[in-house]
Amino acid sequence: MSSTGRRGKSAWIAGVAVLSMISLAACSSDGDGGSDGSTLSMVVWGGDVDKAAYQERIDLFEASQDEIKIKLQLIPGDKYEQKVQTMIAGGDGPDIMQVAEGVNVYSSKNQIIPLDELIADAGLDLEERFGPVGSLYSYEDSVYAIPDRSGAMIVYYNKDLFDAAGVEYPTAEWTTEDAQAAMEKLTIPGQQWGFGGAGWWPQWWSFAYQNGGAIIDDEGRPAANSPEVVDALQWANDLVHVHKVVPSTSDYADMGPDMGGDPAFAAQKVAMNTTGFWAINTLLEADFNWDIAPMWHDEEQAVAAFGSGLAISRDSKKSEQAFQAIDFLTDAEAQTVIIDKAQDVPANLAVQSSEAFLKPEWATREVNMAAFGESSAFVFRSPLIPEWNEMQAAFADNLGTFWNQGGDAAEQLTLIQGKLESVLGSSSR
Amino acid sequence: MTAVDIAAPGTAGAQAPRRAGRRGGARPRLTKRGRSEALAFWLFISPWLIGFVGFLLGPMIASVYISLTEWDSFTPAEFVGLDNYTRALTDDPVFWKALGNTFYYALVSVPLGLVIGVWLANLLNKKIRGRKFFRTMIYLPTLVPLVATAMVFKMVLAPSGPLNDLLGIFGVEGPSWLLDPNWVKPALVVLSAWGAGGATVLLLSAMNGIPREFYEAAEIDGAGPMRQFWAITFPQITPIIFFNLIMGLIGAFQIFSQVYILTAGGPDNASMTIVPLLFREAFSFYHFGYASAIAWLLFIVIIGFTAIAFRTSRSWVFYETEVR
Repeated sequence: MSSTGRRGKSAWIAGVAVLSMISLAACSSDGDGGSDGSTLSMVVWGGDVDKAAYQERIDLFEASQDEIKIKLQLIPGDKYEQKVQTMIAGGDGPDIMQVAEGVNVYSSKNQIIPLDELIADAGLDLEERFGPVGSLYSYEDSVYAIPDRSGAMIVYYNKDLFDAAGVEYPTAEWTTEDAQAAMEKLTIPGQQWGFGGAGWWPQWWSFAYQNGGAIIDDEGRPAANSPEVVDALQWANDLVHVHKVVPSTSDYADMGPDMGGDPAFAAQKVAMNTTGFWAINTLLEADFNWDIAPMWHDEEQAVAAFGSGLAISRDSKKSEQAFQAIDFLTDAEAQTVIIDKAQDVPANLAVQSSEAFLKPEWATREVNMAAFGESSAFVFRSPLIPEWNEMQAAFADNLGTFWNQGGDAAEQLTLIQGKLESVLGSSSR
Repeated sequence: MTAVDIAAPGTAGAQAPRRAGRRGGARPRLTKRGRSEALAFWLFISPWLIGFVGFLLGPMIASVYISLTEWDSFTPAEFVGLDNYTRALTDDPVFWKALGNTFYYALVSVPLGLVIGVWLANLLNKKIRGRKFFRTMIYLPTLVPLVATAMVFKMVLAPSGPLNDLLGIFGVEGPSWLLDPNWVKPALVVLSAWGAGGATVLLLSAMNGIPREFYEAAEIDGAGPMRQFWAITFPQITPIIFFNLIMGLIGAFQIFSQVYILTAGGPDNASMTIVPLLFREAFSFYHFGYASAIAWLLFIVIIGFTAIAFRTSRSWVFYETEVR
């Protein structure tokens, strides 16, 4: 009979245990900042190649000194922003975080710290180490992230198709007219196209900047409907719908799901494609001859660059150690890993001009790696405004039908300009 | 707490009223056993309760407050009153476009799904060879993960894809479904019809539950198959149709994955619906206040439509238990 009573008692104990476990779990999530002892937390995005490259660089750093350890956390690219946002909002931001075009979402809201003092203390010369890219991740005259990976967009071309059509290979000396003439010669209606297209921002923005235009002007005001930008966008669109030297969205959709310039180039459907370093990796196995060249030019030379930097979050209690780590990771020794793993273009200029980069071990064929160094002289500075995502959405929301069916660039850019003015106006409180 | 004898259930019942009487008509006080049972109840329900309060009710209440603020999730929220609601309703063309698209999708896909569901269930209810096989085949699409289905539909809906090839056989020149602002919503409806098998199974089980005598009696009275369907089958399955209608409406108003994967709202927001819109506002643009306001506006819309469905249900849904 007393067993019932005991059961009641044990139920109580169980209940208390459950509750205390819940409260313990709630507490420990506060203290689990990853920065206890001398272990720093670091978050990056990417896949297996990226994970291996970052980890190897961290191993080098840990071997170089014995006070600081780094715990690497890799987050898949499409989840990265949300995940980091949640971490920071929960007061649990990582010590070191990878940032790219969205850098000023964080800097404008004081979620990552200005690095100027730490840079001065360490005696680091950004200009010397990274060239013009050195101050790319700045906001209101303060540097918020140290460049880590930085490669210009380059022109991939299919040598076999060029030879067959009797066209000279592209160079930085090409003008827009040369490029279009080549695209026309390389196009076989319905089965092969001269160029992969310029619907992605780094592509047609490059044309706009080559034309002397800018998306956001020097004063920080949107300038998306200036005649220079209009002309460049119209040309990019006419290549598809007037000159028909670029596959239309329908042509791409017919090739398969998620088809675009990169896979179409690999499938020899397009003779030229402009994209970043990453395509090299997939093309090494390709059974046709290809190479890379710097972007052609118009009035001016200009090309977009892809990259990312390393920043320190507000929540870091060990910003000095974190900076020490970043300094090491962006120095020559650790940066060489980036190219050894065929991950990306290292931001460090010394590494970009080193033998290791120009003649990488993994290169199964001759690749003109110097194209990256050559391009870095005329990379244009992307307007990394805090409202970057909203700006991209303004373009996407108004250019969908334009790219799919053709249209008037001036009309669409006027709509976009209006949207950008309201986005930038409402936030500049 | 001493482990004294616990009264047997019988005596417990006798004791309770006496104690209750002493307390002047208050709730009957629990015996030890009753108390331990109550405790066990709370203990066993606690996983759900903690989950509900912590992960559903709490955030819901919080989101009411957030919807009255401007909050980027990093810096402290700033109270702005009803600004977010007025902005959505008066100053954001994308919101109205998304709401219109969501209505279009819900009001076309839900009835269409029900018609297809009833039709398929009726076919499967016939005594034909390979009935079990067909049943499986019709339910199978529901088991395929949505992401995989969406990827396949990207190919099926390609401008020169299988669907347009099929239309071509009948001399119809198919549109560029996902790339054309006029056809992207019908394309999403086509994808939703693909999942009609889920409703079919429920409707089929309802049809199986209809007593055979009804049909026998109808046959004797000379009712043909059509008459039998409308006079017996349909009224008998209306509760299940009603259930599917409500669930379908709620699901359709909350459509997210298909849009997110297939079109990301494009072209030019022609397929943007409310949930992808609020996701974009919150996690891409860092406007949590505005996104919460949109969420509550969607809630009002869903509640409104559900209420309308319940109101009208009295005139067409037939419950056997209500027969007088």
